[in-house]
Amino acid sequence: MKAQVKEDWFRKDRLPHIFCVGCGNGTIINCVVDAVFHLDLDIDKTVFLSGIGCSSRAPGYMASDSLHTTHGRALAFATGVKLGRPEFDVIVYTGDGDLAAIGGNHFIHACRRNIDMTVVCMNNQIYGMTGGQGSPCTPIGKLSTTTPYGAQETPFDLCELAVGAGANYVARWTSYHVKELRNAVITGIETPGLSFIEVLCQCPTSFGNKNKIGEGVEHASYLRKNAMLLQKARRMEEEGKKIPPETFIVGEYVKRSRPVMGGKT
Amino acid sequence: MMKQLTINETLCKGCNLCTIICPYRIFQIGTTPNRRGIYIPKLYKPGRCTNCRLQDLYGRQLCGTCALICPDQAISWETVSQYKKPEIMIEY
Amino acid sequence: MSQLEFVQGNIACGKGAIAAGCTFFGGYPITPSTEVAEYMAAALPKIEGGCFIQMEDEIAGIACAIGAAWTGARSMTATSGPGFSLMMENIGYAFMTETPCVIVNVQRGGPSTGQPTMAAQGDMMQARYGSHGDYSIIALCPATVQECFELTVKAFNLSDQFRCPVFVMTDEIIGHMRERILIPDSVEIIRPKPAKPTDLPFGTDESDIPGFLPFGSGQRIHVTGLTHDERGYPDSSSYQRHEMLIKRLVHKIESRRHEIADYEIVNPDAKIIFICYGVPARTVQQLAAQDKAIGYLRLRIVWPFPEEVLKQFKNVTTFIVPEMNLGMISREIERHTAIPVVSVGKIGGDLHTAQELQEVANAYKTAGGQR
Repeated sequence: MKAQVKEDWFRKDRLPHIFCVGCGNGTIINCVVDAVFHLDLDIDKTVFLSGIGCSSRAPGYMASDSLHTTHGRALAFATGVKLGRPEFDVIVYTGDGDLAAIGGNHFIHACRRNIDMTVVCMNNQIYGMTGGQGSPCTPIGKLSTTTPYGAQETPFDLCELAVGAGANYVARWTSYHVKELRNAVITGIETPGLSFIEVLCQCPTSFGNKNKIGEGVEHASYLRKNAMLLQKARRMEEEGKKIPPETFIVGEYVKRSRPVMGGKT
Repeated sequence: MMKQLTINETLCKGCNLCTIICPYRIFQIGTTPNRRGIYIPKLYKPGRCTNCRLQDLYGRQLCGTCALICPDQAISWETVSQYKKPEIMIEY
Repeated sequence: MSQLEFVQGNIACGKGAIAAGCTFFGGYPITPSTEVAEYMAAALPKIEGGCFIQMEDEIAGIACAIGAAWTGARSMTATSGPGFSLMMENIGYAFMTETPCVIVNVQRGGPSTGQPTMAAQGDMMQARYGSHGDYSIIALCPATVQECFELTVKAFNLSDQFRCPVFVMTDEIIGHMRERILIPDSVEIIRPKPAKPTDLPFGTDESDIPGFLPFGSGQRIHVTGLTHDERGYPDSSSYQRHEMLIKRLVHKIESRRHEIADYEIVNPDAKIIFICYGVPARTVQQLAAQDKAIGYLRLRIVWPFPEEVLKQFKNVTTFIVPEMNLGMISREIERHTAIPVVSVGKIGGDLHTAQELQEVANAYKTAGGQR
């Protein structure tokens, strides 16, 4: 069945959702729903999957079939769903801890296989649901409950990782850049093969609070202020200029057509 | 038939993200709590909203960033049947 | 026309799966189970809608099998000890979400890497209690290559009938042993109970087993490993909800353990009764053919344990349980009977000899349970 209005994509009896005030996850859900509504996907032939974490509660609010799986394994489950029914549109919601830490191996292998699905990673740079522990995406020097003296480890650049592992479409935006994010999700669903869209989003309760960034509004403004377009960042690198710290590089990293597994026939 | 910007008071959690994204600054930080104690943003001259004015004319959604950024799916456009003269202010 | 073949137990498992209509295999190679994956890799692409995928690890192997099961496919994976340990979390997930799938575990010597090329029965307790929380599963133990075929078919039927993961617990000896098997033209196939359009996805009648609504059926269900209500929506903070859900999931299998039970009894009036499953049963059969003073109970389905069966032995003075571990199912038997239970554990990959078992039996024949 096709959706008549955008609200048809939500399980209205489940709203309002459990996300904190000012959390960016709700924004990302909106952008994905707007994209699937724009593409006029069949609700009965779309499956949303997720692992464990704040981001992973998102499929529970989607009106289509949805699978809320174990921590980090969403991409492996999604592989089974996609290969079981290749005609389905498979969209995976995941978080930075879910995807980059416990699910890192599944992530690079899903990119390598280039399975036809769209992965939306809500990167809040922290483990939100368990109360704000450091994740593989916590920037150096940032505070969390397990990095009380500032994170010491170099964080992952998930987009570069996805490009290196072989995904067909890779982009990064923030939860402030809603139009660009929506368009990226549209391009991602339309592109055959694995599309990876990383979204930096605000977590006022854990990350914002610990690092004195502030509430949702201040955190979203911080994401906006520190975002730099990929083209500009590359130009600066060519010119030998230093990219200032705490900069989020946003934009489309790659769009290519490597061989795809499990595509629609 | 025309569109009218509305905030669903049961869904809104009062995060005020809409106040930073609207290009017209229609959403203003609320001053009085509602019965749930949430400060729902106020609409300042909502007639300026592009989508309210031009959606029917163009036959598609315009702008709409407020509804996209609202994490609680609280902002939408209601169709109002009664014709109400749009309050368009030309600001110099 | 049925067909005679001379194959390994692992291949027989693969042939059983294909006969049962399995269309999805997701797994990771591990000795001694690799032949199951190899056979499926060759057979599945020839079947319409068939899909074989070699995943990056066993966790992903069972995960994609569960994912495919939700699209309505009959799906399976195969592994051995270390891989089985990795799968435990997702086995709990499959139980919680009532996902039908089959896991073939070709047991090897453990713990850890242990003896990759030697047989053991050391995963029997892990199969039953390995995942966290309270749950109940079905585990089948073939003793011949023919049974590898038959019990794999049966595993698919049981998993669809009861909507739970089902294990085929073979071991390295049967997995790699070649025997003559008879492959019938067709096998009985029981698919999950279909759901009525008015049914809630996890709502049940008195049977405790909900009808199956795979993805794409138009009912748009939400499947979660969290404690959920009949609609599938998470509700993890209510203790009544959790108790109700878990009790139903355990009850749907435990209340039917005598209906599920599959066993063979020989000479039930004997004083010495051997209780066996899997490959040690072959030695016991050999012994019982020579010594008419002993009888045996051979379990083809070990979990859920059919304890009522133990009451059928009226004259028994001693139960002797030969296992390729240091006593696992013998403890389960002790729980259910006042009659002395003697565990004859043997590890290292070597089978019990008939001579060894005969000596144990002789020691208890006159003593009446006391050596």
